[in-house]
Amino acid sequence: MDFTLSEEHQMFRSMFRDFAQKEVAPLAQTTDHEEKPPLEILKKMAEQGFLGATFPEKYGGSELDNLGYCFLMEEMAGACMSTALTLHVHLGLAGNTILREGTEAQKEKYLPDMAEGTKLGAFALTEPEAGSDAAAIRTVAVKKGDEYILTGNKLWVTNAGIADIFIVFAKTDPQAGARGISAFIVEKSFPGFKVGRRERLLGLRGVVCNPIYLEECRVPAENLLGQEGEGFKIAMRALDYARLGTAAMCLGLAEAALREGSRYATERSQFGGPIALKQAIQNYVAESAIKIEALRHLVEYTAWLADKGERFTKEAAMAKAFGGEIVRWVADRMLQVHGGYGYMREYTIERIYRDARALSIIEGTTEIQRFIVASDIFSGYGLKIKP
Amino acid sequence: MRVIVPIKQIRDPRGVKADPRRQQVTLEEAELVINPTDRNALEEALVLKDKLGAKVTVISIGGPEVEDSIREAWACGADEGILLSDELLAKADFRGAALALAKAIQKLGDFDLIIAGAMAADTCQGQLGPRLAAALDIPCVNDVYRILEVSGGKARVIRGWDEKFLEVEVELPAVLCIAPGANVPRLPHGARIMNSYQWEMPVWKASDLGLSEEDLRPGVEERGLSFPPERVRGRVSRGSPEDLARELVSFLRERHLI
Repeated sequence: MDFTLSEEHQMFRSMFRDFAQKEVAPLAQTTDHEEKPPLEILKKMAEQGFLGATFPEKYGGSELDNLGYCFLMEEMAGACMSTALTLHVHLGLAGNTILREGTEAQKEKYLPDMAEGTKLGAFALTEPEAGSDAAAIRTVAVKKGDEYILTGNKLWVTNAGIADIFIVFAKTDPQAGARGISAFIVEKSFPGFKVGRRERLLGLRGVVCNPIYLEECRVPAENLLGQEGEGFKIAMRALDYARLGTAAMCLGLAEAALREGSRYATERSQFGGPIALKQAIQNYVAESAIKIEALRHLVEYTAWLADKGERFTKEAAMAKAFGGEIVRWVADRMLQVHGGYGYMREYTIERIYRDARALSIIEGTTEIQRFIVASDIFSGYGLKIKP
Repeated sequence: MRVIVPIKQIRDPRGVKADPRRQQVTLEEAELVINPTDRNALEEALVLKDKLGAKVTVISIGGPEVEDSIREAWACGADEGILLSDELLAKADFRGAALALAKAIQKLGDFDLIIAGAMAADTCQGQLGPRLAAALDIPCVNDVYRILEVSGGKARVIRGWDEKFLEVEVELPAVLCIAPGANVPRLPHGARIMNSYQWEMPVWKASDLGLSEEDLRPGVEERGLSFPPERVRGRVSRGSPEDLARELVSFLRERHLI
């Protein structure tokens, strides 16, 4: 066993860290307080090659592998969670799904623009009546000549208000359950495509999240992603990879919380000395560090499995479940370390606390992740369980 | 047009720990990075590459670990990199290092500019640029904040001068020493990072440069490190301006300062 990183990974990581500190962190509070999408940062990210980082060079990328992608997400989330999630949905969910599932023509058409940032991506699966139960979607796609006509509503589509390219899931065979779902690449400009009012969120306030309405939206048949009926599998694969990235964001955000809390504990003086000398504070800090280190190993191990081409569904679910929970725990304790100041909007930990809450919900709740883990375990005993 | 950028790998000053009580400086835990001002120098060279198509050659002295910094400079956009490395070079002092770099630059052939960082953040000596210029017998402009123009065998630059800025014209080839913070250096680009270990890096030894042990014998001997004496905290006085003025005057008189 060898935990040494390759030189390229080390260089990537330190470049991501430098970028996060110089370009992302200084704008994090404004992004949150003014609820502004981080478009300026995205422009700089495009110049730096982040927006298509995982794509092959011919599409304007740097062929970043899963471990490298985790470093990217960890560092961005540590600086600004809203920015990290905007990038993640564009690249990790939308871009990588086209890269993984698309035809050569689809990749040539969409990926270079996505890498340059002239077009941003989004991923539309969830519906008002279909969250954790993704197979229950009601959006339908009916083939008419060389077009599909899509009708239905999608909810909580991250990036919807700023994106141009949407991966949309709809039923081509409504009777066939999960096997009746197909995936499409839908452009904002297609007739019948509408973006709804931006949602107001507890945290992640720089993230633009809207419903979308497909009113007999006309999608060229060549924009079918994969084959008809493969949509559910495509979505689940996309979510396996995305959960790994989200777990890495949990890691970065938890680390940021610990940094804030530890620094504050050494600077804040009560009873004649820094509160870091109090055992209660030490326990919070130590326990946070232990959880963070455990998460780091789980994330990096899962990325290693993914990069070797092995199955990692269970590990990604574990990392996402664990990450989503510990980031809340760490953010909560580090806010407690701050006392009253932690409840003030001027303090970074207040933003981290609100942002952290989303991470055990998005891309599959903790409960769904646990189901995935349990179902994998019981399948080893020949028992198939349903949620 | 060829621009040469000598870089130095140092321990990140932000990670260096000093323990004045034990008179000890711990370097090992700090990351190895490109000297920050050398990054500014590299940035100036890369701007000339973007504008004028200059070929940028990065050159450094040190052990095998320095290769990482040269490759990082390549990932930022440099065209090639050379490492000067062997046991003799490892012992060289400022004079020896400048001599070795000068020999390596001569071995490379024609060049137009050497753009160096004005100072390394670990030693703070600022000797390399002027020494290189002396060894190669070419002009040197120190404390350069901006390169305005490079054309017709000349460079026009803005340099710091006695708390003012001065516009200077210099004939090429020349050494320009870039001031700290003169620009915001770019970060290595992802696509180049992926390929940064895909090329063969030439490693030249002292013998390749025609240098002997005698040539590189250090003229300076390091006998040890000591910390400056701890600062004595000043005295804080409170009171009306008149009383304070009287107290200050008597304090200075006692010490025969006025």
